[in-house]
Amino acid sequence: MILEGLMQVLQPMTVVLVAIGVAVGIIFGSIPGLTATMAIVMFLPVTYSMTASEGISMLMALYIGGISGGLISAILLNIPGTPSSVATCFDGKPLADKGEAGKALGTGVVFSFLGTIIGIGLLVILAPVLCDFALKFQAYEYCALALFSLSMVIALTGHDMPKGLISAVLGALLATVGLAPIDSRPRFTFNMYQLNNGFALVVLLIGLFAISEVMAYAESVRQKQDFTIRSNVKIKGVGFTFKEFIGQIRNAAVSAIIGVGIGILPGIGGGVSCMISYTVSKNTSKRRELYGTGIMDGVVASETANNGTIGGAMIPLLSLGIPGDAATAMLLGGLQVHNVAPGPLIYEKNGVVVYAIFFAMVLSAIFMMLFMLLGMRFFISVLKVPKNYLLPVVVVLCAIGAIGNANALFDTYCMVGFGLMSYLMIKAKIPTVPMILGFILGPTFEQNLRRVSQLASSDSFIGHPIFCVLIVATIFVVIFSVRANLKDAKRAQERELAELSQAAGGGDE
Amino acid sequence: MKNKQYRLDIIPGIVLALFSIGYLAMIPQIQTFDGMGATPLTNHFIPTLWGSVLLLLSLWIVVRGLRKRKKFLEEGGKVEKTSFRDALMEKREVAASFLSLTIYVALMGVVGFAPMTVLYVFVQILILTPREKWKKNIVPALVTAVITGCVLFYIFRYMLNVLLPIGILSVFGL
Repeated sequence: MILEGLMQVLQPMTVVLVAIGVAVGIIFGSIPGLTATMAIVMFLPVTYSMTASEGISMLMALYIGGISGGLISAILLNIPGTPSSVATCFDGKPLADKGEAGKALGTGVVFSFLGTIIGIGLLVILAPVLCDFALKFQAYEYCALALFSLSMVIALTGHDMPKGLISAVLGALLATVGLAPIDSRPRFTFNMYQLNNGFALVVLLIGLFAISEVMAYAESVRQKQDFTIRSNVKIKGVGFTFKEFIGQIRNAAVSAIIGVGIGILPGIGGGVSCMISYTVSKNTSKRRELYGTGIMDGVVASETANNGTIGGAMIPLLSLGIPGDAATAMLLGGLQVHNVAPGPLIYEKNGVVVYAIFFAMVLSAIFMMLFMLLGMRFFISVLKVPKNYLLPVVVVLCAIGAIGNANALFDTYCMVGFGLMSYLMIKAKIPTVPMILGFILGPTFEQNLRRVSQLASSDSFIGHPIFCVLIVATIFVVIFSVRANLKDAKRAQERELAELSQAAGGGDE
Repeated sequence: MKNKQYRLDIIPGIVLALFSIGYLAMIPQIQTFDGMGATPLTNHFIPTLWGSVLLLLSLWIVVRGLRKRKKFLEEGGKVEKTSFRDALMEKREVAASFLSLTIYVALMGVVGFAPMTVLYVFVQILILTPREKWKKNIVPALVTAVITGCVLFYIFRYMLNVLLPIGILSVFGL
């Protein structure tokens, strides 16, 4: 299976598709406002007629390219191309301002590559272990796992817990549309046969992440956006010396592990991992006072962690069918389109595709490093592409993606509806990522809870230690997260009230 | 004036509370299954659970918003009233984008993917372009729209077998 997977990726067509995917991903990642998720959304319809290995390899390439490309605008413009590169700005831009843009970019590229490779390594080791473990799962365990994953929403909602929970519940509520699990009775279908299968994940994601982006840009049309792009950047070699590289190994290893660890947790993506890794790197460094002034340590921490997250996020996706972040939720949609069912049996049922995914990830990482080191000037020039021309084309590709999902125009109406919902949610400061978790985990929770209700009389939960452990873990996560969130909320409320008082004072003047 | 902060709790809270009440009201219409293999928890249970939780959370943020509002008014703040028309004008590009997107998908089945795409891309580019730059952008926008519509239709319909609607182009035997 391993060799077969390798052979599938080494097919000339797949290699070309991976190369295209990486290049497009880098372009999307580098342009602020366009993300890896959007690149995957856009190219999903292109993969419909491909084989599973070709299609998923291309989507993986887009993902890796998209996450890595964000460093270009973070370093040159001080605007992160993707949320994963937020912390790259902190030291990347000051380095560029010192006239060391080449060093900053080279560091970012090489350590993005290393982060990706470490993430893939851990994915290859941990995914089968988790799959073997998950084979023991029955209704009780799946029910508790869904509950545990949903409890993570509380951990990632920040200071506004009710709004994060609203988002997750809305997602779970949307997932109740269609035929009910177990008894297949229609719910909330309004006698429309198109709703019998419920809303498609891909269509929801397109609406949430692509349409809302166009609307966000539409809001800024009348605002002047002036930024100068440094286009005369040259990278000599990889931009830094071997001695400097050796000095960063510990920092990179810790950051990669943080990235993978954060990636495994449902719903938390590269945006969080780069920030945490940067903070840890700064707090444990002997020269912490230099962070933020333009040192390569900061770039290393951020870029290694966000790329490590890629491998981490793939672990629960492949072995449990639970996405680690928005981009992997999109990949889940891609896997479903190609009839690959993630879960504990994925190695048995689609082993070749799984190994093809691993090799495609390695190939994508290699292409990413080569393209970015050799073609940096091209990617910098792409930053000048006007978004008012690019975004309408993205919307059209999204519409094609929605139509192609089930060859039905109905999905485009849903796409617009979800786009509007997403825009209103963003305006109301309700986060959209928990909604995906609710949408994916809601049906798993319902199906297994109802099975458990059937089994409870003959099979007590006491005979299910994994269930008990997961429930205890859920209780701990909820208690600690609620405590942390309440503290955050108190601080935020005090800040808000101070602002309100200021505003009230200002209103009188 | 940052009095919008409490509005961001009150308005979404009320909308979501009304939505959850409507959702909960529809649950009794769902047929349950009572035959062999029926589960003790019926297909009403989870929708009732999510609907109730959403209602509670919505009320939570409404109450929170009202508290913030009270505090704001106590501090001597004045509530700014913005008319719907003014709010719409402020976000006219967003409203126009949604309108054009809605018309695009609504007419795509009848008129066809290619013609509607040409029209939509052209209009959307202009919406996303500052008005003072329209003159300079009309021809490039038109060229982009025509190329996008024709090339994507050909690639996806005939090379990648996605069933994009042909619409009025069927008169040309496509």
